[in-house]
Amino acid sequence: MPSSSLHSHWIVRLTNERLSLRVPRRAVWVLLGLLVAVAGLIALSLMLGSYSMSPAEVWSVLLGHDAESDRATVVWEFRFPRTLVAAMVGAMLAMSGAALQSVTRNALADPSLVGISQGAGLAVVALTIVWPELPAAWRPWAAFFGSLTVAALIQALSWNRNGGSSIRFILMGIGMAAFITAITSALLTYGQVERALSALAWLSGSLHAASWSEVKLLVVWLLVLLPLALALSRSMAALQMGEATAVGLGVSARWVRYALISVAVALAAIATAAVGPLGFVGLIAPHAARRLARAGVGLHLLLSAALGATIVTLADLAGRTLFAPVQIPAGLVTAIIGVPVFVVLLHRAHAKNTL
Amino acid sequence: MTAVAVAPTASRQHLWLGLSALPLCVLAVVVLFGWHLAVGARSVPLGTVFEAFIHYDPSQFDHLIVRQLRLPRAIMAALVGASLAVSGALLQGVTRNPLAEPHILGLMAGASFAVVMVVGVFSWVGGFWLPWVAAGGALVAALIVWLIAQWAPGGATPLTLTLAGAAVTVFLTALISVAHLLNQQSFEQLRVWLTGSLSGQGKELLWVAAPWLLVALALAMALASKVTILAMGDEVALGLGVRTGWLKVQVLLCVVALTAGSVALVGPLGFVGLVIPHAVRLFFGSDYRWIVPYSALVGAGYLLGVDTIARLIVRPQEIATGIVTALVGAPLFIHLVRQRAR
Repeated sequence: MPSSSLHSHWIVRLTNERLSLRVPRRAVWVLLGLLVAVAGLIALSLMLGSYSMSPAEVWSVLLGHDAESDRATVVWEFRFPRTLVAAMVGAMLAMSGAALQSVTRNALADPSLVGISQGAGLAVVALTIVWPELPAAWRPWAAFFGSLTVAALIQALSWNRNGGSSIRFILMGIGMAAFITAITSALLTYGQVERALSALAWLSGSLHAASWSEVKLLVVWLLVLLPLALALSRSMAALQMGEATAVGLGVSARWVRYALISVAVALAAIATAAVGPLGFVGLIAPHAARRLARAGVGLHLLLSAALGATIVTLADLAGRTLFAPVQIPAGLVTAIIGVPVFVVLLHRAHAKNTL
Repeated sequence: MTAVAVAPTASRQHLWLGLSALPLCVLAVVVLFGWHLAVGARSVPLGTVFEAFIHYDPSQFDHLIVRQLRLPRAIMAALVGASLAVSGALLQGVTRNPLAEPHILGLMAGASFAVVMVVGVFSWVGGFWLPWVAAGGALVAALIVWLIAQWAPGGATPLTLTLAGAAVTVFLTALISVAHLLNQQSFEQLRVWLTGSLSGQGKELLWVAAPWLLVALALAMALASKVTILAMGDEVALGLGVRTGWLKVQVLLCVVALTAGSVALVGPLGFVGLVIPHAVRLFFGSDYRWIVPYSALVGAGYLLGVDTIARLIVRPQEIATGIVTALVGAPLFIHLVRQRAR
């Protein structure tokens, strides 16, 4: 029904008509709502913890008052960077999942399920254990290299004469994840104990050690990768209409696919390098975003990112407050929430078309 | 139909191969058993190993090592290898899923989860009830995985079963980690066990778990011929007068018992049940009357060998056996996916 669909959209036009967009209203409101939710969660997690603070106290610390107090240390040194890292990591993993799902046309694709996170994990553990003298700045590069290798391997292995198949892709990913996990465990068992312990803490997907250096790293990469992903999203939209249509629209299917996979892998790798593997965020966020609001590819990417940020911030907050003083790593929380969602997705008819 | 027409000649060929390979396989298992006893952090000459059995002298250090430390471990390796291989073979036959295996289908995670919870809550380890606890967990996990797969569009196919198994495994593993974090002291002792290692457990548990495994192995041999028929399809099996529902229940119980006994002994040890039946099938075709006993033999030899290698490569430390089996098994899994999945 064109009339109602026009009614539910805003039409944005540049004056010279070089660019015009149809923006679904509902999606924009949902996006704004999610951003408010993330901001609220960040505020909440600045207040809550083993040292509780009132909103007024947090506010005065953020404004730069009583900079010498313990409160200022807790907020600036621990809680603020940690929450920012949680939000950004969530956004990156969610975008990675959304991009992977649309490239592989597989509703169940998730960087942690198909071994991409594990590849990053192995590379970082190897770096920590074999070359401990290298600075932590190498981690993202190692993670990216590890993830990209795994992604390329799965692509190559799941390709046959009939083209790539999503079933093979996902099953292959599960096997690959098991294999890589075994190598990682082997490194951990006979690497030096103190190095192995530091790698182990990182592997459980905990934001415990997040600091401003991680925040800087993530901001820089996000500023590079987010525009790239959005720029590719238009071609991705064309691809989803089928390869022939896309080629007719002047999109090089192969090039777009490689570029998008690289961006998706980079997003997952950087996030993993910062905090360790966090499962299922890339799986849940895009699907939940789609249920909240239908949107074009680009807007859907943003919606997923906002939702991913919400999920991980919430998971981290829950993990460190529910069983305090014991901290449950956010990775475990997302796995426990994520699996039931995965099962429901497996059941949904939507999954049938893509499997 | 071609399968039925070809069956007589094929089975006659397999009969000869099956009978003639038997002494060879038994010999191989014996040799691997001896090798397992002889090497380790401290090498013991084969002659001394032999002496330890004929003229046991408790005052000799080497005899003590062989009889008290290595013999229980070797028996465990052989028994668990046989059990896991057979349970994988049965699962593959009944689900007609080339990827079926107690680890992939979530049974191991269920058994481990049950054990970890009971040990954590009642802070009690080992003993007579451990296999029962593990069996309960494995059974519940198997049913949940089956229900999830059944609920998915298209029913319980190899794909949905594998995905459901992977999901349940991730879920239970996360819960185990949470439990571990909440109660660190009582879980410290389970750390090694959870990676699938033969080193942690005492031989007391062997006396508890061995009867389980032996009874279940015997049951598996008894069920083998019917599994062959079931592997041809439910309709064929029904037409040949096999009560498929009851048979599936029996096989499930058998697999649960094998998995539970193994998990109780050495922890979750993945991919043994995947690798061995496929290797055996290469030589002996699709007749489970051959696949089951040979899986037991080859599985025993395989795990003896793997455990020996796991102790050798980083001597005097050792790699958890579960890591080595995964390193061998996961590539085979990938290969099978490449070949079988559409």
